[in-house]
Amino acid sequence: MDSTVAEQQRILDSDWGGGRSPFGTSWSKFMMWIFIISDALTFAAFLITYGFMRNISPAWPKQTEVFNMVLITFMTFDLISSSAVMAMAVGAARAGNPKLAVKFLGLTILGGLIFLGCQAFEWTHFIEEGATLTHNPWGVAQFAASFFVITGFHGFHVFSGVTILAIVAIRAAMGKYSADGVENAGLYWHFVDVVWVFVFAFFYLL
Amino acid sequence: MTWVWLLVLTALALGLGYAPINERLKAFLLVCTTLAKILVIAAVFMHLRYERLNLIMITFAPLILAVILFSFTFPETFGSATHLIRVR
Repeated sequence: MDSTVAEQQRILDSDWGGGRSPFGTSWSKFMMWIFIISDALTFAAFLITYGFMRNISPAWPKQTEVFNMVLITFMTFDLISSSAVMAMAVGAARAGNPKLAVKFLGLTILGGLIFLGCQAFEWTHFIEEGATLTHNPWGVAQFAASFFVITGFHGFHVFSGVTILAIVAIRAAMGKYSADGVENAGLYWHFVDVVWVFVFAFFYLL
Repeated sequence: MTWVWLLVLTALALGLGYAPINERLKAFLLVCTTLAKILVIAAVFMHLRYERLNLIMITFAPLILAVILFSFTFPETFGSATHLIRVR
């Protein structure tokens, strides 16, 4: 015990003077940020690979003719709105109002479920028209492959986000409530939104 | 209010998607609207503007690494690289 205290003192007295919390956040929030950063790299790799494959393909199908852009735009609107509601949930949690936080969390979960429903509809449609990982009726195989991989990974993130938010909401309703927990779940949810912003711009619009 | 700005940027991106302009200009403008959107989300929704500079700086790591990966791999697609892909 004594040696530990002495060790700490030795570090504090050194040039480094450690233990000053360079990031000034709680450990849980910092870990969430580290996770988001590594996860962002996964999606960056996906999108760059997609750009690579698209540019070496002789022709790329016109997305506006393949996809129902009204649905895609609605999904974008839905996810951005749920992100905004999530920000309100975090605000309510920070202000110490668990009831309001649970209400906003419920709305956020609803937004996530609507998004997943639209995506299930879109996938069903796409598969019924003959798209698989290796074949599709519109052009190079890489078109459907990148669609399934990119939107699939993103959709799975939305699904995990809904799960996490449901756990946080239930815990908040039970009174086992911490503003940090709501905020960390919120960070993840906003990250899912950020990824969709990229997918929307580069996969559907470009 | 932030929500309204995000919707405006989304509408702008959507308009760009349909705009009959040069593909490169379109790509550049879409990158701009996307970056604007993620900066708004990160700064306001994810509270980055209240965090320490250290934390803000590490969140830029993926962006920088993505730019490096992109600029090292993407030039490979120029010229006759179609042998890399199977055309049905």
